[in-house]
Amino acid sequence: MSAKTEDCGPFVIAVPSKGRLQESTAAFFARAGLELVQGRGARDYRGALASLPGVEVAYLSASEIVGQLAAGWAHFGVTGEDLVHEKVPDAGSRLELVAPLGFGRANVVVAAPQAWIDVRTMADLEDVASSYRAKRGERMRVATKYVNLTRRFFAKHGVADYRIVESTGATEGAPAAGAAELIVDISTTGATLAANALKILDDGVILRSQAMLVASLSAAWGTGARVCGRAILDRIAASEQARHSREIRARLPASARPIIEDARERFGAEQAVGEDADPQGFVALHCPHGRAAELANWLLSKGAERVSVAALEQIFDARNRLYEALERRIGRPDLTLPKTGSPF
Amino acid sequence: MSSITLDAALQAAPNPGERALEHFLAAGFRRIEPAVLHPASIFLDLSGEEIRGRLFLTAGAAGQELCLRPEYTIPVCRAYLSSELAGKVAEYAYFGPVFRSEAEGGERLQTGLESFGRKDVEAADAEIFALSMEAAAAGGALSARLGDAGLFDSLLEALDLPDIWRRRLRRGVAQGRSLSAILDGRGQSALAQPGVLAALESADHAGAKALVEDLLAIAGIDAVGGRTVGEIADRFLEQAALRSGEPIDAGKRAVLESYLAVSGDPDEAAVKLRRLADQAKLDLEQALDTFERRNGFIAARGVAIGETRFSAAFVRDFDYYTGFVFEARDPARAEAKPALGGGRYDGLARHLGAGEDIPAVGAAITIDRLPFAGAR
Repeated sequence: MSAKTEDCGPFVIAVPSKGRLQESTAAFFARAGLELVQGRGARDYRGALASLPGVEVAYLSASEIVGQLAAGWAHFGVTGEDLVHEKVPDAGSRLELVAPLGFGRANVVVAAPQAWIDVRTMADLEDVASSYRAKRGERMRVATKYVNLTRRFFAKHGVADYRIVESTGATEGAPAAGAAELIVDISTTGATLAANALKILDDGVILRSQAMLVASLSAAWGTGARVCGRAILDRIAASEQARHSREIRARLPASARPIIEDARERFGAEQAVGEDADPQGFVALHCPHGRAAELANWLLSKGAERVSVAALEQIFDARNRLYEALERRIGRPDLTLPKTGSPF
Repeated sequence: MSSITLDAALQAAPNPGERALEHFLAAGFRRIEPAVLHPASIFLDLSGEEIRGRLFLTAGAAGQELCLRPEYTIPVCRAYLSSELAGKVAEYAYFGPVFRSEAEGGERLQTGLESFGRKDVEAADAEIFALSMEAAAAGGALSARLGDAGLFDSLLEALDLPDIWRRRLRRGVAQGRSLSAILDGRGQSALAQPGVLAALESADHAGAKALVEDLLAIAGIDAVGGRTVGEIADRFLEQAALRSGEPIDAGKRAVLESYLAVSGDPDEAAVKLRRLADQAKLDLEQALDTFERRNGFIAARGVAIGETRFSAAFVRDFDYYTGFVFEARDPARAEAKPALGGGRYDGLARHLGAGEDIPAVGAAITIDRLPFAGAR
């Protein structure tokens, strides 16, 4: 890839190059105020971030992205959690899963023919696989592209009598085609599996996956790259926090002070702009969006006449937890030794 | 890729591997150097997907999945079966690299023996064991452990356990798990389906099959796939039968416990095992005769049988072993992997397409696990 200069970029973000994943990724970055600008037309595989010069956007397939991150050629990437765990055996030591992005949700599941009414759990599968081999002298075949996830999951459940048949497309059709007895595949609603007369085993969910923002620990993290990384994570954190929060405003009949602590404990609510409750009874709180209605009702019960709940665009916080977590992994830059020329 | 290590090893005389090979050739074994590349499916079928991560995989021009040989036994057996000697007596020795991702540099040297077709089973067992122990001694003395997968299989047969439990016990013991871990530590089976099982309580195969067909028809499922309706029905029947009580009654469990606890001097173990069989009224006559005769042959070969240790729970973690098994390690590194391992694998030829079992016994020595390997 491009040459690495000493302290400054290039900072590379790898994003999916096609389909729903590309659209959702572009929307995600746009929401964070980081518009992806694709080069000349849709067929160009290089791009930039409109608001952060020096950042290079590489459009790749989701599985190539994992490889680029593991090799340290990209700093950040957007890809599926399933691919991270499948393609990088020691993902924990080479990559940092920075944040789940809330789209591209799918489960990696073990699915068997619906007709196997005697098979509902992995324990059943172990039984049946063992009998199958004893009877036919062949191992039951599992069609999948998730070779490593399958191997680890089956080993955990003591299933040994199987063979993997690698399948890169239309895996769900393998049992009907006679190419395999069962499958391990990605499933969003289970509808495709059902249409192929397959069912997911009760304890057969290997991984609940979604799109992830992933950082490479082996990329060149010079000062420039850190500045870029921090700037990107500032904006992502701001929009992610906003997306998961609601602002709740109300006026209470008396001082709001006693209410605030209670609201934090019961609903995880924080004061919108820090530690300064208005003694006149005006409260502005941020709380997890799933709890907003409950909190509003609770405020009504405390005497508020009207409570407004609003969605938020961005919340900037003095502490950036996403970047702090990343910095714990890549190490703080050594500020005590200014860079000098090489002694050699 | 192998030439550097191999050449280096050959130049550094005296080398334990080379000396072992000479010892085998002097005993009348023929040197064989089987192919390096083999269809990966053969190893995956025999050892399971578990070993996939340790194989060096590649693809042929037609897309078939190939691997570099991770060991010698299967490659030598394949070479034997495709030769004009297939089915006849043939005895081979080898010395060269095997390829494993966990080995340093991805390869390690092995030397060993494979004997095919001999009908004098116990004598062949003893000879392979004795020759490999003598050869390995060139790299330092090893302490040996003996086992008998055939004896354990006979016990499981004599106990008349359900097939599924026989397989679970065989595998669990091979993996070194305790009896209680094997018998008690299972996940929840779906066949807490009391309705179906109750309906099957007095059913026969045909009745169960009809019931399963009805259930599938009601659910609107017409394509079965992979397994037949009869197989599904049989499994329901098996489960219905097992539902009534513990899969293995307390008496049989006690026998298994006593059997697996037998260890120590092989001759003394034989006495203990005979007593156990008598008390439990189990017919292990044939397997015990084989065991005793083999001990006699080993002693006659000059191996001090009292210095080896027998362990009833030792059956080796490959299900193609059908009889005698053994391993030996550096006594100073008791926790290390064995430097020498082998056993009888009469079933392998059939797995590899021979159409019938062919008597076979072999041993492999991993050079870098010998005590003096570092000094070569």
